[in-house]
Amino acid sequence: MIVLKVLLILVVLVTLSVWLYIKAKGDCRFEFLVEERTAFVPVEIKDNYVVFSCRVPFVNRGTQDGTLIDVHLRTLLPKEYYDKVDVDGRMHDANDPRGDHYWESVIIPYNTGGTAVLNIKLTATSGDIRADLAEMVDMPMYIVYEAVGRRPIVVYKDYLVMTQEETRVVAQG
Amino acid sequence: MENFELLPVKTRILTHRDDIIKVIESYVNGKLTDQDVICVAESVVAITQNRIVRPQQIKPGFLARTMCYFVPQKGSLSSCYGMQAAMNMEGEWRFFFAMLCGMVAKLLGKSGVFYDLAGPQAALIDDVTGTMPPYDKHIVYGPSNANQLAEELKKRLGCFGAVVADVNDLKRSLIVGASTGVDKDKVAYMLLHNPFGNASQKTPIVVIKNYLGAVEKQVG
Repeated sequence: MIVLKVLLILVVLVTLSVWLYIKAKGDCRFEFLVEERTAFVPVEIKDNYVVFSCRVPFVNRGTQDGTLIDVHLRTLLPKEYYDKVDVDGRMHDANDPRGDHYWESVIIPYNTGGTAVLNIKLTATSGDIRADLAEMVDMPMYIVYEAVGRRPIVVYKDYLVMTQEETRVVAQG
Repeated sequence: MENFELLPVKTRILTHRDDIIKVIESYVNGKLTDQDVICVAESVVAITQNRIVRPQQIKPGFLARTMCYFVPQKGSLSSCYGMQAAMNMEGEWRFFFAMLCGMVAKLLGKSGVFYDLAGPQAALIDDVTGTMPPYDKHIVYGPSNANQLAEELKKRLGCFGAVVADVNDLKRSLIVGASTGVDKDKVAYMLLHNPFGNASQKTPIVVIKNYLGAVEKQVG
């Protein structure tokens, strides 16, 4: 009976130690710092379309290295809200410039981060982008990212808005 | 062994739809003699064998979720998905006991026991980010039948020998499979400086020119 008790105590102690060890280790914790984003500025203007660009820093605030498996941009401009432009939103890692809408999985060590570049192409439905942006509205969007560290994969969404003041400058210029 | 020359061969991205032998044949045609050894990167062999899985297809169990915390962060087993994928190949309890033995051995000052006991996948598996797009979002297992593939390559290409190698920039050079007659240690030494380069250089094949002459000269 004493042997059993000792064994039981040992099992409890080992389990507790492993649990505490895992708790102490923690995990990665990503955040896209949308409040610190740069302004959306036009980087390419043609008669029928304009491309706006903006940079958003991201950081791994956790205690473990983490992997950003995939990151993409989800723009929200329903036709009921505004139907004069067609939207194509893309993003890439500033360290890996590319225009193919692909985010190569990347390991971000803890306490470090990087910068994402968002490119939003607005194409005029009428063929005249300056006219079609004259009444452009605020356009919300999500940065959607799939992250993994020690624990199972988590998908996060961070929200930001491209304001009408930022886009209407094209109509005014 | 100074008389050999390393010749990296650039290829397109090889996929799970490719026949590795046919592809290699098409890229090295006319570049090989009976003095040469052809080396192929193990992750590319594994991809062409369709030994890949997306982490989302894996359900990490309690053991994988716990044990991954006891692996250094840079390792492919440090995520519960990499750990579970390797366990699925080698056995969960094998991994568990290998880790227990590895911990005890480490306390006694001996490293590498876990990898000796856990089976080849423990060392060969590549977690997400381990290979280039479009396989950067996959876990890539080690190749299967590597010795057999090396023999087949040797036979088809008429070279002195063939190897499947796992080499990286951290001076790790491991021969996973080799045809008969090839000295694995010598080839590992020749590949130590990673002539395969990084994934984006797209050179998964390296020809060791004049391998036989270099080895014979050293013996002589």
